[in-house]
Amino acid sequence: MSTTALELSGDVKERIRELRALSDKAEGGDKEARRELRRAVRESAPEVIARCSDTARTYRRLLAETASGGDMLVKEAISERATMLAEEVAGENPTPLEVLLAERIASLWVLVELLEALHAAYFSRHNTNRPTVTYLLQMVKFQESANRRYLSAIRELARVRKLQSNTPAVQVNTQINLGAGERH
Amino acid sequence: MGWETRERGGTYYTRSRQENGRVLREYVGAGLIGELSAEADRIDRERREVEKLKEKQDFERLATLAAPILELSEAADILTRAHLIAAGYHCHKGEWRKVREHYST
Repeated sequence: MSTTALELSGDVKERIRELRALSDKAEGGDKEARRELRRAVRESAPEVIARCSDTARTYRRLLAETASGGDMLVKEAISERATMLAEEVAGENPTPLEVLLAERIASLWVLVELLEALHAAYFSRHNTNRPTVTYLLQMVKFQESANRRYLSAIRELARVRKLQSNTPAVQVNTQINLGAGERH
Repeated sequence: MGWETRERGGTYYTRSRQENGRVLREYVGAGLIGELSAEADRIDRERREVEKLKEKQDFERLATLAAPILELSEAADILTRAHLIAAGYHCHKGEWRKVREHYST
């Protein structure tokens, strides 16, 4: 199985590197970097986010295939459940960033489910070929790490939503001209 | 595990194991018993090595499968951070706060 096709492309990686460098400078108090970051977020980030979201969806299908053990029906069920989860978590009219964070949550959910299924299979009474303790410990650590990432992804989306609600993206000024007949 | 040569001649098959931090040597036997035990131990050792290699390959396959999510997670973190900083926030000890007015332009 090859995951090369799933990796983010070179130009996306490059833009992400640029955004990170600008974020570091802006957080360090560089006002010019903050202005540049705002421009980059406005202009290039939406495309980068969209491509990351696409990669997350493709990746999820691959994970679902592995988790299904080759059963097409199970694969479709996992894939569909994850898609529904991503849509449900993203909510109505999500921003591109919310979509990406929701896709990440759904992908991590599939990974966590896969690891739990593997873990359950190791301890199944039908499994005559029990893995070694070293292997089990390694798997438990991996599972814990995936769980931590999954919970952290949920927290991150909640945080972004909370902060976004305090920061209106578009300011709407409404002017009402009262008609002459209404003046007294 | 191995064959021990005795002073009065002949060889004796022994196996060592750890118990409560101490190395215990078990004297198995000489002649045919020793040879059969040595062969059984060798087969057992090889079986464990094959299992260990298979487990290593299984884990590597799983880690390869999970690798893209780590990359995507990192990318999502960087993009989130960039958005929040651009929106006038800064991270203070893990908590995002609005930058005071005279810092933001």
